[in-house]
Amino acid sequence: MTTKELIRKIFFVEIFKGMALTFSRLFTHAVTRRYPHKIRRPAQPGFRGLHAWSGERCVGCKLCAGICPSQCIYIATETDKETKKLVVKKYDIEVLRCLFCSFCVEACPEGALALTEHYEYADYSREALYMTMEKLQANWDKYMAGKVEDYFKRFWGPRPEDFSTPEEQAVFRGRK
Amino acid sequence: MFENIIRPETLEPIVRSVINIGIILINIAIIVGIALFHVAYATYFERKTIGHMQVRLGPIEVGPHGILQPIADGLKLLFKEDVIPQVADRTVFYIAPVIFFTAAMTSLAVIPFFEKFVIADINIGLLFLFAMSSLGAYGIVMSGWASNSKYAFLGGLRSAAQVLSYEIAMGLSLVGVMIMAGSLNLSEIVKAQQTYPLGLYLIPQILGFGVFLIAMFAETGRCPFDLPEAESELVAGYFVEYSGFRFALFFLGEYIGMFIMSSIAVVCFLGGWTVPQFILGIPLIGDILSKIPNIIWFLLKVYFFIFLYYWVRATVPRYRYDQLMAIGWKILIPVALANIVITGLIKLWVKGMI
Repeated sequence: MTTKELIRKIFFVEIFKGMALTFSRLFTHAVTRRYPHKIRRPAQPGFRGLHAWSGERCVGCKLCAGICPSQCIYIATETDKETKKLVVKKYDIEVLRCLFCSFCVEACPEGALALTEHYEYADYSREALYMTMEKLQANWDKYMAGKVEDYFKRFWGPRPEDFSTPEEQAVFRGRK
Repeated sequence: MFENIIRPETLEPIVRSVINIGIILINIAIIVGIALFHVAYATYFERKTIGHMQVRLGPIEVGPHGILQPIADGLKLLFKEDVIPQVADRTVFYIAPVIFFTAAMTSLAVIPFFEKFVIADINIGLLFLFAMSSLGAYGIVMSGWASNSKYAFLGGLRSAAQVLSYEIAMGLSLVGVMIMAGSLNLSEIVKAQQTYPLGLYLIPQILGFGVFLIAMFAETGRCPFDLPEAESELVAGYFVEYSGFRFALFFLGEYIGMFIMSSIAVVCFLGGWTVPQFILGIPLIGDILSKIPNIIWFLLKVYFFIFLYYWVRATVPRYRYDQLMAIGWKILIPVALANIVITGLIKLWVKGMI
């Protein structure tokens, strides 16, 4: 140990340097955003939020349920006797188990399922976050109104060549 | 403070003693009230300081700038369910926080806040403070044992070892002050500092002050020596199993302990409620400074130490347990002993005995 090191150790030089740093931080602006009360901004376009589903578009092919990694889509169908078409009897999504990968949306050939930009749906009960057919239809009507075509073209539509995330979609791309 | 209103010699002895007891009770009420208020806002100040040092905001939602946060916290603690573990040793579990809190509060009795404002002006003030801060460790060990939880138990054992080792360093670091002042009475120590040319024992006792400062952090179990309640290792240490108001008693005791330690530092090294003569001697500034009441000086000095606690907490990471013990036994105690020898020799030399 040299004399310099000894002096540094005796007079706590490192600790004082650290303390000077924290003291200087005392007068800087906080980086915290006061989310619910002061700052409340809408989600960026293409944000993967609450699920929405359209009963008119759905043909009951169950591709969404098949691709779902967390197996949280429950579908029951029936064949109509006269028209020989599938009729969806049950279409439930357990949002608490969903991991928002949007595989289901991309798998859907009819564009009947979407992840909307609505993200403030926290609740105290499990039931409120268990989406039944009616709730999903209501979400579709409320949050997808007027932007269905545009959104499926830009973000959710079937993309035969390029499967990468569209440039304009708001997803985490690492720190720049 | 009441001498001018009532002339004691005109009263019956019984009436006089009743009045004296009444005055003491009023003093106690004032000090306890002020101490509890200070503890409440010390938590707020701590969260704000550390928050801003870590580029956060701290409490801000309750009231303007979160100023009502301590009240909200207090209400929450009062109405919380009081959970007692099934396998806990109930009697000891009940007693432990009371012992801890009582030991902390009792120490307030001997601290002179300003001239003649002290509940018990006893002539072994410093020893009394040491005794009480060691007694608080019993509360911690008992709570750790009675909780019947391994985290609490480890916390209690760590605290016992830590407080006992650092008590020695702390006591020894103040012996230099005792030698210089020639008294253990805290008011006498402050007065002795006024007669001393520099007005502070900080400068001649810089070694003792350094040792005391480090021991002070360890004694109250604050960062960087917060091993008894190391959050990342032991959840909350000795009071893991406590909830509701029993937890609040530990919390209050801990913060009052911080105030006590800061007050000892102020009284013994920074001249208590006085301002050094060489500052008062400066024209203009000295005149303005001498107008400020003594209690404000005392509180400002205490607040500085409280701020130092938070400042260090925001900066320094926790020490390892063996490092803590090494600092205590291998560095602080020898340095404190050297300080005693040097101070004693210089005092003898000044008195012309060598």
